Amino acid sequence: MDLIPPNYFLTDAFDELIGPDGRPRPAAVPLFRSLESLEPGVLAARRDAVDAAIMAMGITFTVYSDGANIDRAWPFDIIPRVIARAEWERIEAGLKQRLTALNLFIDDLYNAQRIVKDGVFPLEVLEGSRNFREQCRGISPRFGVWAHVCGTDLVRDKDGTVYVLEDNLRVPSGVSYMLENRQLMKRLFPEVFQASDILPVDDYPTQLHDTLADLSPREGARPVVAVLTPGIYNSAYFEHSYLAQQMGAFLVEGSDLVVKDDDCVYMKTISGLRRVDVIYRRIDDDFLDPEAFRPDSVLGVAGLLRAWRAGRVGIANAPGAGVADDKVVYAFVPKMIRYYLGEDPIIPNVPSWLCMYDDQREYVLEHLDELVVKPANESGGYGMLIGPRASPAERARFADLIRENPRNYMAQPTLTISTAPTLVGDRLAPRHLDLRPFVLQSSRLYATTGGLTRVALREGSLIVNSSQGGGSKDTWIVDGEAH
Amino acid sequence: MLSRVAENLYWMARYLERAENTARLINSTTQVLLDLPKEAQFGWDVVIKVAGLDQLFREHHPEADETSVIHFLILDERNPSAIVSCIRNARENSRTFREVLPREFWERINGLHLYIQRSAARTTQGRGERFEVLNEVIERRQSIVGLLAGCMSHDVAYQFIKLGRHIERADMTTRIVDVNSAVLLPGDGVVSRAVLERLWMGTLKALSAYQMYRRHIGVHVEGAGVVHFLLTDGQFPRSVVHCLGEVEGCLAVLPDSAQAMKALRTAWRRLEGMRFEDLAPVVLHDYLDQVQADLGAIHDAVRKQYFELYQVAPPTAVVVDEE
Repeated sequence: MDLIPPNYFLTDAFDELIGPDGRPRPAAVPLFRSLESLEPGVLAARRDAVDAAIMAMGITFTVYSDGANIDRAWPFDIIPRVIARAEWERIEAGLKQRLTALNLFIDDLYNAQRIVKDGVFPLEVLEGSRNFREQCRGISPRFGVWAHVCGTDLVRDKDGTVYVLEDNLRVPSGVSYMLENRQLMKRLFPEVFQASDILPVDDYPTQLHDTLADLSPREGARPVVAVLTPGIYNSAYFEHSYLAQQMGAFLVEGSDLVVKDDDCVYMKTISGLRRVDVIYRRIDDDFLDPEAFRPDSVLGVAGLLRAWRAGRVGIANAPGAGVADDKVVYAFVPKMIRYYLGEDPIIPNVPSWLCMYDDQREYVLEHLDELVVKPANESGGYGMLIGPRASPAERARFADLIRENPRNYMAQPTLTISTAPTLVGDRLAPRHLDLRPFVLQSSRLYATTGGLTRVALREGSLIVNSSQGGGSKDTWIVDGEAH
Repeated sequence: MLSRVAENLYWMARYLERAENTARLINSTTQVLLDLPKEAQFGWDVVIKVAGLDQLFREHHPEADETSVIHFLILDERNPSAIVSCIRNARENSRTFREVLPREFWERINGLHLYIQRSAARTTQGRGERFEVLNEVIERRQSIVGLLAGCMSHDVAYQFIKLGRHIERADMTTRIVDVNSAVLLPGDGVVSRAVLERLWMGTLKALSAYQMYRRHIGVHVEGAGVVHFLLTDGQFPRSVVHCLGEVEGCLAVLPDSAQAMKALRTAWRRLEGMRFEDLAPVVLHDYLDQVQADLGAIHDAVRKQYFELYQVAPPTAVVVDEE
């Protein structure tokens, strides 16, 4: 069966699996060979089986709609995204380089602020930062590392260049879906799986555990690690419980924890209070500690920041790490890499215009119909303007927003992000996608093998977020030639 | 073990046990009804009464006919003890401790939930359909119990599951026995020996106890023997005494269980002091009430010792999307 239809290409986007000649790229050849050996109808049948398995396994995310929380099955496309190992190794080195620089930057900002004094990073960006926490000044956490878990979004433009689109340093999510996707594929496509030499992904929970255990204030004893979740109403609750399960950690809510006068954190157990050494928090800074941040938070733990400052508990990511998770700060990362590491960035940034600078703002305002405009501190694809697709009224509204608060906006060219074949009905069609690898840092560095591929399931759509109609694919790093 | 998790495990087990026993109760009552003479004073309202749901039922239904009772016990989400509600609650509770149970557990409880959502409507389409669906609920629930027994470390988490299961089971056993004390209450003399035997046989079958009763007690099914068996037989796993033994085993492993143990001993002693020969229905009913109250005291002691450290925060529906 010939899977790739002759009229496959819809746009001039780079396709991850299929070359311009309409033939599979080298790394994807074994995959296509085994897919094409399947009987007609088998693909669609397996897809239905996958959907049923997802429902049965309860792999869901929660959306809040019409006043009720609804469990949605995690949309999954069964055609994997393939990346050649040689290319991946270069990306992996770039991810580690980037997180290293980001952590040096955060540690610097909360301490000597050398980078500001040396004129590399402008003071006004720091002053306008919503995620800079005064409460964290003068602290230097273990290893000087603030962001222990980073989800870096990568995209590929039509010329094949891979760019970093953003660094998620607060509570990046999605890694559980990366792990589950692989399980699903192995369960349902063992024969396809055997045809390629695919690197495993399943050591992530162990790596995450070891990264967290590194932060324990108590030497020697096996540290008590807890995943702090806002609870079952959070869209990523599935992931919180999944990671706790995989790591053998406790899954706790704020109300399970208490900070005593000795500045230690305890959890409420059936035999009284038990000390917690490390908290992997999946709650934003704002809600983390009503004593230090938002006093109305019912999700957090009063005194947590105090315990952390006293060195009695490890927190990942550290409070305040979100200062580098800002789309304006993002534009300075290549400079940070040069400044702190004396190296050239391995993975480039998407070219960006910062509206805080008069000349760049004028350019943005004049080219709103070509650019993507992003607010500094939103996530999940909210609050963005995609210029070429927006109405004149929307563009006018954004022009006003930019003029009102230039520090809060940046703009980038509208990339034609790459596509990969996706099963639509019983045919393959190109759909746009990105890649979110997860990078860990404590005393050492680790990056997932590949990451979570998010795919925009609607034809032509560029928005891959699960809250906005995105799905995902298994991501294969295979031994073979680079594209 | 977190107090919150312990409490959720305990209630998850109770909900599932309740769902299964409600399914058993409905199936056996359906069977018994077919065998009763017309003059016997028995109706579906008895089932509602012994389940302790008559007040809630009357708020929603003027009359206790088969259709409304079945709907109320199986489908009606306004009834927290309805089978769909129990399974939903058990599944929601399970979300909060997926990390402590084997992952197949979640797949099965999720499967049970999806099954009952899909099939509950069939239970109102005739007794045959109903029997089939309820039987599958029982089977699926049994497979969950089996999975935990065979694939989960018998750790503290397991003890809380066992604790919830056996307190609920003992309570439900007394309620299923109580169906018969209710049917006999007004028209004692009217009911012939043969009918009585049928009734008690129905009780035994509801608890899958018929075969074991015949093997260990005798071929003749009579009230005193059945009550004695279901309340005090040490070996039959649904008897009250057996359940108390299991509860004792859990408490022996759990820390600081002195108060709960004391409540358990009280229940035990009282049960041992009960005499079942020539039992008047009204006395039987009082006995069963007493056992239920004693089980409630064990529950209270468990709650105070293990769950109260964790004060439930007001429900929050704060929705914060992650990146």
